[in-house]
Amino acid sequence: MNTQLLTSRPEVRRGSRGAVNPFSGQHRRRLLRADVLTVLFWASLAGAVALWLADGGMAGFSTPAGSFTALGIVAGLAGMDLVLLMLLLAARIPLIDHTVGHDRALEFHRKLGKPALYLLLAHGILIAIGYGMAEGLDPVSEAVALWVLVPDMWLAYISLVLFIAVVVTSLVAVRRRFPYEFWYAVHLLTYAAVLTALPHQFSVGGLFAEGTWQRWYWLALCIATGAALLYYRVAQPLVATFRHQLTVRRVVRVAPGVVSIEMSGLGLDQLAGSGGRFFIWRFLAPGLWWHPHPFSLSADPVSFDAAGQGTLRITVRNLGRGSAQLAALKPGTKVALEGPYGLFSTAARSRSHVVMVGAGIGITPIRALLESTPFQPGNATVILRGHSESELYLGEEILSLCQQRGATLFHLTGSRPAGVRTWLPETSARAGHRLASYDPNVADADVYVCGPAAWAQSVLEDARAASVREDQLHYERFDW
Amino acid sequence: MRTRAAVSAALASAGILIAGWQSGVHIADSSSAVASAATGTAGSTGMGTGTGTGTDDSTASSGSSGAGTTGAAGASAKAVGTYAGSVVQTRFGSVQVQITVQAGKITDVTALQLTDAERKSVQISNRAAPLLRDEVLQSQSADVQTISGATVTSDAYLNSLQAALDAANL
Repeated sequence: MNTQLLTSRPEVRRGSRGAVNPFSGQHRRRLLRADVLTVLFWASLAGAVALWLADGGMAGFSTPAGSFTALGIVAGLAGMDLVLLMLLLAARIPLIDHTVGHDRALEFHRKLGKPALYLLLAHGILIAIGYGMAEGLDPVSEAVALWVLVPDMWLAYISLVLFIAVVVTSLVAVRRRFPYEFWYAVHLLTYAAVLTALPHQFSVGGLFAEGTWQRWYWLALCIATGAALLYYRVAQPLVATFRHQLTVRRVVRVAPGVVSIEMSGLGLDQLAGSGGRFFIWRFLAPGLWWHPHPFSLSADPVSFDAAGQGTLRITVRNLGRGSAQLAALKPGTKVALEGPYGLFSTAARSRSHVVMVGAGIGITPIRALLESTPFQPGNATVILRGHSESELYLGEEILSLCQQRGATLFHLTGSRPAGVRTWLPETSARAGHRLASYDPNVADADVYVCGPAAWAQSVLEDARAASVREDQLHYERFDW
Repeated sequence: MRTRAAVSAALASAGILIAGWQSGVHIADSSSAVASAATGTAGSTGMGTGTGTGTDDSTASSGSSGAGTTGAAGASAKAVGTYAGSVVQTRFGSVQVQITVQAGKITDVTALQLTDAERKSVQISNRAAPLLRDEVLQSQSADVQTISGATVTSDAYLNSLQAALDAANL
């Protein structure tokens, strides 16, 4: 089945030609920030090596043993730098979130995991070879000697083992075999790994040797990373939780296995415009409080009265153990929140035209975005995808929003054709429809996609084929 | 935009690396000059107090031989004597200290060799040696605390010192 609901006939095509694009400025600034962050990333790696060079590091290359040691030191410096950058990427720093989005930052964080580990392993091996050659020992005996004789080195060995554990448990194949909590607990060991690595950098290595620029660089980087983690991951969530005083007001059943949770709180006007972005929620009820839930708002925050008492709403499908308990939440339950995070919002807009595509529970952030993101009537298209009409959650709200704001709405229901990679239902795919069939202006639009990973990839491929540029594509993933 | 980021990142990194390398070349030269100056003074003190430079060399080449070489042969408790400790090998270079004994008391500790494998080690040594010397002169023994951040150097220093103390029968 394939239904089209034309809610408004755009009489005047405004904003297509000659009109000023209100988002070009913010788009340009966002791309500039992204470039600056890229440059900073590489500059910090280069800086780590350059400071070592400036400290006379090249002198080590005069002997074969010295060369191994020197390479080992460089590997260690680069590895340490990468580890700190990874921590910064995971620190939920607003600048990074506003620029590339939380999920992209974490994707990059994951990509750096293996290189960082390889560098640290190379550091250990090369140093063992280099020192061993200098003392006439084979690398293994040298490694043992370092462990036994040199103070703080045993801690560095523990650190390396912890880093290996953290990276291995994060490999997709391994991670799937264990529950999230196990992975999370092992991941917390990263902090132990960094802390056990520090002593040998002080005593054996020269990273913090007095009178060098390196000392200041590494001190600054370590302190900044620690401060960012403490501030953005601990202090700010606590402040937000106390400021907003969220409590569950009611839980409404939307469809089988899907509930909307409405929460009231204070000062929610400060969160205006974060519709579509996500928060990490903790419902402070027995058995639930320790479980963080990342969910997007399914409506823009509403503030009712002068006191700022207002409403936040999320819509949740029963996906796992934790989500099942959410349906049974009692009104009055206190809620802790971290956020808002992500770029699935107006902040990512670059064009005046917008296309929003959602599937399943991924429809809910589309609903929130549709409510608040600016567009002229006729300049927005909403495509909802599900197996049946009943899976187009919040469908009625979306229909009335489309009518109010002048957006074109499509309902695409039915199962996928077998053996074909497409995001469309069988009938539409047979008819040869593409993303451009639903919105001919898609090439000059921001395309927001939210849904299951494989499906979303398929939509994105279709969009790219319709010559939508990468910086016009915005998608949120649930599967990190 | 991606190209802009890539080009700027490449240029910035190259610039930073070249700047670092340039100042590094400068420092590497001066540090080797410092190192040679240091060995020069060590040699001259050795001569002045009567410790043969030849003895020094032979101990160094034989590795960590435990025997300390005495400067003034048959130095009695009353006489002034210098005693060189054993050469202790570390991964950052060799360490050897010499003590001056007068009336059964350690009056001076001189480092004949200190860890000098890299500029870093030289720095660490230069920081640690005076501190160790003061501690030793105060406690009149090798039973002193190691200097944090210079543990390898300290351990070697104190080992060599112990050998010198043994040689002086202190």
